[in-house]
Amino acid sequence: MDTTPSRTPYLSAETLAGIHEPARRTGWLTQERRRSLWGMVFALPAMVFFALFAIYPIVRTFYLSFFEYSVVDPPVYTGTSNFRAIVGDDRFTTSLLNSFKYVAFTYIPVLILALLLAIALNTQIRGRGIFRTIYFVPVVMSWVVVSVIWKLIFHRNGLLNATFLDPIGIPPKNWLTDMSLAPDAIVMMSVWKELGFFMVIFLAGLQNVRSDLLEAAKTDGAGPFQVFRSITLPLLQPTILFASVIAMITGLQVFIPQFVMTKGGPVDATLVLTLNIYETAFVFLDGGKAAAMSVVLFFIIAVITLIQFWLYRSRAYD
Amino acid sequence: MRPLHLLLYLILIAGAVLVLMPFAYMLSTSLKPLNEVFSTPVKWIPSELKWDNFSTAWREHPIERYFKNSIIVAVSVTFLNLLTCSLAGYSFAKFSFPGRNLMFGVVLATLMIPLASMIIPLFMVVKSLGWVDTYWGLILPAGTSAFGIFLMRQHMLTIPNDLIEAARLDGASEPRIFAGLILPMSKTALSSLAIFIFMWNWDSFFWPLLVTTDDHYRTLPLGIALFESSYGTNYPQLMAVALMAMLPVLIVFLVLQRNFIEALTMSGVKG
Repeated sequence: MDTTPSRTPYLSAETLAGIHEPARRTGWLTQERRRSLWGMVFALPAMVFFALFAIYPIVRTFYLSFFEYSVVDPPVYTGTSNFRAIVGDDRFTTSLLNSFKYVAFTYIPVLILALLLAIALNTQIRGRGIFRTIYFVPVVMSWVVVSVIWKLIFHRNGLLNATFLDPIGIPPKNWLTDMSLAPDAIVMMSVWKELGFFMVIFLAGLQNVRSDLLEAAKTDGAGPFQVFRSITLPLLQPTILFASVIAMITGLQVFIPQFVMTKGGPVDATLVLTLNIYETAFVFLDGGKAAAMSVVLFFIIAVITLIQFWLYRSRAYD
Repeated sequence: MRPLHLLLYLILIAGAVLVLMPFAYMLSTSLKPLNEVFSTPVKWIPSELKWDNFSTAWREHPIERYFKNSIIVAVSVTFLNLLTCSLAGYSFAKFSFPGRNLMFGVVLATLMIPLASMIIPLFMVVKSLGWVDTYWGLILPAGTSAFGIFLMRQHMLTIPNDLIEAARLDGASEPRIFAGLILPMSKTALSSLAIFIFMWNWDSFFWPLLVTTDDHYRTLPLGIALFESSYGTNYPQLMAVALMAMLPVLIVFLVLQRNFIEALTMSGVKG
């Protein structure tokens, strides 16, 4: 997006403001002060919402992570015991690992498929508009609705077993009640749901790949694979970086499919970090421990974001 | 057509079929009699079309109430966001005052903070205000968004300062400039923002799950999850409900799909 303000060729705003400023001075409330006051007034409503519903809760989460807190009774200071408790907690380790596995198994295929799809649909191919629309439809669907549909698809007598496994002679599988299959089933659904979103991100990134460069490479006799490797891919690098960070941040916060389809089971096989935090706080009423887990999640996401900034910066000075 | 092109087409069509298949399955199941839900191979066209799955589900469960709640919440949150985000975006783009950069920095930082990291104290805030099981509790915590402020600020930066100065010289007051000049120039950005905020709040699940215990205030996604866990075996009715819940967003998307995709690429941010 173009962010440079367009300028009219005659008198600049500064000059105009300068000419008129003395006439508009009223007591101590200079025009400049009056204006910055208006700026604060305009920002105020949003900032009040932020202070109450975002900043205070975040600060308070850090505070509570050092307390024993049952959500019902007042908190009692216990130092770092919550953090020591989660380090030794197998269920916490499991949920952390499940979250990382979910992110890797879902978003690596999503990013690769979305990139290929975007390249295919960035050509002059006929019907590309319809394809883009179709692939994007799952993105606008609610996660709850999608989870409910896929729960039926994964049913022992559902679509997946009946249409894809039965004809090739594979006996029906219990996708959501088998410990070794449930995580894969949720990954399968998530790939379907998230593909279109990243396709659009890559389509936007491809607008920065100049077509004359591609043409020049083609006339120089480069094959499609070579063009992709030495022109498209390097130019898309910032977009790929951006997309992977978004993918990791979204993926680490996943909650609805596991909550609706498996409740974290069977035997914690799909217990992801967010679901664990929710259960710890609101089912087991251990708010302090849940806060400590939230702090860990916060730092994981902060580190990912900082790495992204660092990579962007180091790229900018290439 | 070159063979490579043909191959590409075949792959794209196969992919599109896979993407659409769950929707076709949902539609087909929603019209089936109960005894035809599970058959191998899948019976795509039911032997008789049971349209009354829709009316029965609507009549026997408080779907209408869930719909009403979802509409009240999503519409109110959208209006609140249009107001707070456009005001704050304008302020951050066109005014300078002490603490401005710090505030904007904090707003951007919260984009990275997972909801789970603030959920317990947020719940306590809402509880101490007496807002559990009220529309206030569902609506106000979502009253502004970092994504929206960022989107609006990026847009406001493109409005020429000269225009604002000219309006000031004509003697227009600051609120008047905002309402009469800035807002009309921001229609595209505002409609993009409205689409996303509406869509996310129509979907919102985690927060309503915590802040409602009374069926009277449950929103559609919560209602569906509840329906699923208590009547999960009646798949035709469940699919009928899911289909009805999906329609509003689907229609909005198909009508405004250009704005959807533009907004997404313009912001490059997923809330």
